[in-house]
Amino acid sequence: MPRIPTALVRKAHAIDAFLPALLAPCRDMHAAQNELRWLREHVDKVAKARRARGDVLAKGALLQKLVKQRASGKPLQYLLGTEYFGNLVIGCRPGVLIPRADTAASITHLVGLLRNAQSIPPELRILDLCTGTGCIPLLVQHELYSARKDVDLRVLGVDISSKALKLSNDNLQRLRKGRNYVDRGKVQFIKADVLIDPFTDQMEGSMSLKAALNYKSQPPFWDILISNPPYISPSAYWKTTARSVRGFEPKLALVPPPTAKKNDTEQGDMFYPRLLEIARDVEAKVVLLEVADVEQALRVAQHARHLGIFDGVEIWREQPDASTEDAIEDDFAIVGNGNARSVLCWRGAGTLWLGKSATIPQEDDAQCLFRASECHFYGGAVRPGGSSHLDAQFDRKAFFGFPETPTLKR
Amino acid sequence: MLATPWICRSCLSRIARPLFRRHIRFQTTGAHTKSIPPALLTRARDIASAHQQLTDKLSDGFDTRAAKKLGEYSPIVNALGEWDKANESVTELTSLIHDSATDAELRSLASDDLSETRTQLAKASQSLITSLVPVHPFAHLPCLLEIRPGAGGSEAAIFAGDLFRMYQAFCNRNGFRTNLVKYENVNGTTEAGVPLSEAILEVENDNAYGVFRSEAGVHRVQRVPATETKGRTHTSAVSVHVLPSLQENSAAEQDFDDPESDYYIDLKEVKLEVMRASGAGGQHVNKTESAVRLTHIPTNTVVSMQDSRSQHKNKEKAWALLRARIAQSRREKREEEMANMRRSVIGVAKMGRGDKVRTYNWGQQRVTDHRSGTTVHDLDDVMEGGQTLENVMESVRGWLMERDVEALIADDDGTK
Ligand SMILES: C[S@@+](CC[C@H](N)C(=O)[O-])C[C@H]1O[C@@H](n2cnc3c(N)ncnc32)[C@H](O)[C@@H]1O
Repeated sequence: MPRIPTALVRKAHAIDAFLPALLAPCRDMHAAQNELRWLREHVDKVAKARRARGDVLAKGALLQKLVKQRASGKPLQYLLGTEYFGNLVIGCRPGVLIPRADTAASITHLVGLLRNAQSIPPELRILDLCTGTGCIPLLVQHELYSARKDVDLRVLGVDISSKALKLSNDNLQRLRKGRNYVDRGKVQFIKADVLIDPFTDQMEGSMSLKAALNYKSQPPFWDILISNPPYISPSAYWKTTARSVRGFEPKLALVPPPTAKKNDTEQGDMFYPRLLEIARDVEAKVVLLEVADVEQALRVAQHARHLGIFDGVEIWREQPDASTEDAIEDDFAIVGNGNARSVLCWRGAGTLWLGKSATIPQEDDAQCLFRASECHFYGGAVRPGGSSHLDAQFDRKAFFGFPETPTLKR
Repeated sequence: MLATPWICRSCLSRIARPLFRRHIRFQTTGAHTKSIPPALLTRARDIASAHQQLTDKLSDGFDTRAAKKLGEYSPIVNALGEWDKANESVTELTSLIHDSATDAELRSLASDDLSETRTQLAKASQSLITSLVPVHPFAHLPCLLEIRPGAGGSEAAIFAGDLFRMYQAFCNRNGFRTNLVKYENVNGTTEAGVPLSEAILEVENDNAYGVFRSEAGVHRVQRVPATETKGRTHTSAVSVHVLPSLQENSAAEQDFDDPESDYYIDLKEVKLEVMRASGAGGQHVNKTESAVRLTHIPTNTVVSMQDSRSQHKNKEKAWALLRARIAQSRREKREEEMANMRRSVIGVAKMGRGDKVRTYNWGQQRVTDHRSGTTVHDLDDVMEGGQTLENVMESVRGWLMERDVEALIADDDGTK
């Protein structure tokens, strides 16, 4: 990391004695000033709470301690105990990954599409695998209930970590207070290891998802599957992550476990084949998976396409709601602004919920149509409900007139 | 004996009752108008006869539009009625006193009542004027006070902080709820003596705009800065903008979607930029950047907000501020157009947002408002947001009212 120029340090010191220490983790003056203000507000709040209980607090000493910890790289969110996620405040603790703004942006965008959806089932079931703080189930609930009174949600968060489960339940309790939709639908958290294949022999300790669903009397079928799994490869972990991430956030949440015969990239991608398999088994109609970058996004999208169960696959950037021209890469639409951040797949009824028109996401299919003869979809896999799919294509053909190449439409 | 059993005390006290309690406090303040300009009186009488016609019309059948007009006119008609009564009483008392036939006892009784009745007349005049002058379209709204240093370097920035605390104290004393929308200084405290680069204070009460409208403009300070070694007095300036506050759920919200309204903004004309952690993003970084910037493209109005850790909150605040700025500037533009039209008729003085409105002089311990011409000497009480500040603000509201009356008369002349 480049050193901070002495002139900047001096300038910071002239403004406030605490500021130079914050330059190291914040890297720039504006950010450091903001963090100092938030730390001060936090100290004031703590002092006020203590005073209400008749205690006194040495504010200066607490601030000094916090600034010192922050200077060592400890994330502000762990120091303050919270992070904003959409317009929710989510509790944070060391040992559980801090929710990211990018994740909130994708979730908000997804729910934004569902808000206007026709023919959503009266009980919408959403599965969030690798839930961490529980931020995703809680935001989905918050966003959807503020827009729709006609849907009951059943959201299930799954994680392997006990610390995460404890925290997600605490977050659920905390948000429950002062909400008026407590009694509609359910948000629950259970423990399971999503990587375990249910058909291999069960090992000691963790349960497979299927076993856990069964054991906790949860339904076997889910409408929407969301996951922000560990997706960083071992080499990227050392090269790309910020020091504060490496030093203070759990590796379990970031890097998939090492396995024999898998190279660096494959290890980083490890969760996706399992997640898509689960999506198929639970018959999810919409799947949203967060990814590290555009390369991983394309690998995941290809994989999803080759499974042959989806009617559409597209890639979302960090700001999927930004109105830009969609880019196309490898025949996948890439939506929004910023780095590529997630992969969205849909099929059947999900197509309608998202307001998508049915399209053929595969070049091969277009060639099939040129030949106007029967062909194998998706490398031979037989797709359920294939005929409606074809009808939709013919309509598009009539509409655009050949030989227009079918493009993806949002 | 007397032909008319003239004025009894209870009638007088009825006249004295303010007609529009709510407005009285904020609108009909210390204006020293004793008599009503004839043009206004004519206007009031015209309205009264229109009112009568409408009433007749309504007795034939219901008409919503006529009913609405009637509702608008009736405060004026009532005020005119009260004024006529008071005026009549004064005339009557005066002639009684001057009538040689009046006996001594009655004459002394009459002159006792005369001064009081004159006061009632002045009040009735004021009420009548108030009822005629259109209420400022933002007067009923909460407001935003934007305080920014102008010329004068760090001394201006320090005085900006002083003004900020003055208004905050004023609000605390007078039961106004406030909300700190933005406070940018170097270290994030609101202590005295720390230069302030920008502060936005929301006053959440309804009618706050009407109360604080008097504060918009350039406030000048003359004092020896703490940093000045040679003891020289410096002159610096701070600008105060007063905007209608258009937070969600505010009284104006229903107009947000009406393209005709001052509060309307076409979403397509606004560019939203959010700060992002640079580099890979996602799980790789955990530092949040919550700053938000909105640009209204047609007017190139830029609002940025980074006070909150929540990007969501920053976005909300930025939107509210953008709406407020645009509504205010649309309004100002319209007011200026109207003023220009009037000036061609009659020389009406105008105060723009760039004009110096008030001077705070430490050496002489005085505050002078250049619009109302009021000077007060309790500088400390002003800076502490005390009664003296309220008096100054009151004098300006009176002055604004007089300008409104002038404008009304000018408009009348212009249309004739
Ligand atoms: C990147 S974090 C995501 C947390 C949360 N969804 C968010 O967006 O902030 C990944 C989570 O997956 C959990 N996890 C790791 N391996 C897992 C496994 N095999 N099965 C289930 N959860 C796992 C970790 O405990 C961690 O909470």
